Amino acid sequence: MTSLCHAGRMTRTPSDADYRLLVENVLDYAIFMLDPTGRIISWNAGARRIKGYREADILGRNFAVFYPAEDVAAGKPVRELETAVAVGRLEDEGWRIRQDGTRFWANVVITALFGADGELRGFAKVTRDMTDRRAAEQALSDRRRLLAHMVEAQEVERRRIAWDVHDDSIQSMVSVGMRLQLLAGQLPAEHAAAVTQIDDAVRGTIGRLRDLIFRLQPPEIDEDGLARVLGEHLAQLGIAHTLSYDLAAEPSQETAITLFRICQEALTNVRKHARASTVDLAVVAADGGIRVRVTDDGVGVGSLERLPHGEHFGVIEMRERAEIAGGWLSIGAGRDGGTTVEFWLPAVGL
Amino acid sequence: MTPLTVLVCDDDALVRAALRDVLTAEPDLEVVAVAEDTDEAIAMAERHEPAVVVLDLRMPGGGGTRAAAEIGTRSPRSRILAFSAYGDARSVGQLQRLGVTEYLLKGASNAEIVAAVRRLGVST
Repeated sequence: MTSLCHAGRMTRTPSDADYRLLVENVLDYAIFMLDPTGRIISWNAGARRIKGYREADILGRNFAVFYPAEDVAAGKPVRELETAVAVGRLEDEGWRIRQDGTRFWANVVITALFGADGELRGFAKVTRDMTDRRAAEQALSDRRRLLAHMVEAQEVERRRIAWDVHDDSIQSMVSVGMRLQLLAGQLPAEHAAAVTQIDDAVRGTIGRLRDLIFRLQPPEIDEDGLARVLGEHLAQLGIAHTLSYDLAAEPSQETAITLFRICQEALTNVRKHARASTVDLAVVAADGGIRVRVTDDGVGVGSLERLPHGEHFGVIEMRERAEIAGGWLSIGAGRDGGTTVEFWLPAVGL
Repeated sequence: MTPLTVLVCDDDALVRAALRDVLTAEPDLEVVAVAEDTDEAIAMAERHEPAVVVLDLRMPGGGGTRAAAEIGTRSPRSRILAFSAYGDARSVGQLQRLGVTEYLLKGASNAEIVAAVRRLGVST
């Protein structure tokens, strides 16, 4: 008789029939028994779902039928039973074969079952199909590898552009500037002034190209660590600043570079457009990743929409970098009407 | 008055020629040789023992730091003016340890270049 009373407390202990019902109907696990030689002597709904065999087709057969031929040849099924007997239990993850010959990635636990007399009665075998989880893990690790390659490729490309600008554009401008100054020295004053103006324009361009090279150069995170590289970058801004950095471990190379590049872009915007007197950079561990906030007290986010066309790309690039890395980025109001750039990156490799 | 002897080292042909002309235009300076890579810079410094070497930091064959170290032993009285398009704090630090004290970014005016060469020449 089955009855429940007082707050759901069971009034009786389950019978053997209850246990059989439980085991037979579990769908997510293949639960079955082997005799001491490895022959299958029971089957459940989960075993049928995962492995494909009907009870009548599998009872009496050796459990080695679930293993790939190479594992059988290597004696793995026999060894697993021996281990279970020796230490009581064995857990394994690996490929197993369904009735239709397809493979699935299995988590397997084999427990040796001894009677009260200490004699081996057989084995309990519980198998889970981990194929989906394995595929998800694989996809995640593929994505991380891809991200690492992409960040690396971007940095290599930036370095190449930086050296191209250095070796070609700047050198040409420098020699033109020197020639113009020589020329100005040889011309009558009224013409010399015009040439000097051209030379000023050339020198302005050289300065901007040098800034470009500086921004393109890869940060030396490898040698100095992220906190120091960020600190040095802030110091070069020429604006009062604070840096709070609270991470337990150094992030992976690609995460560190992504984080640095976004900060660099945000701080370039502060320097060029915000007319801020202070900027605060905070890097903290949050939600299984890293949250970064760049806050200034400048003229505010409204001005960002009025940026010249090309500068919008800075904002787009920041957001793209964060999203490609699996994170997010948002821009909002900062202190005293200034701007806040906030982003989060998953802590790959932490 | 004997002019100050100068060696010009730059791998960019246009910059090299412009530097030579800028320095030659000054009556108290004499460009005794030009070099277009690191090995040539070292060889020319050893041969001419110039008072001043104007040295590009980024050149084929090891660049300015190697040239500065070699010139320091082969022509110890030569003083070096480092001349670079990019202010790399690390290589500047390395050069300082090699005794290079004058450093100009490319884009400096002709007058600044000439003044730096004279300053170095005077101190030899």
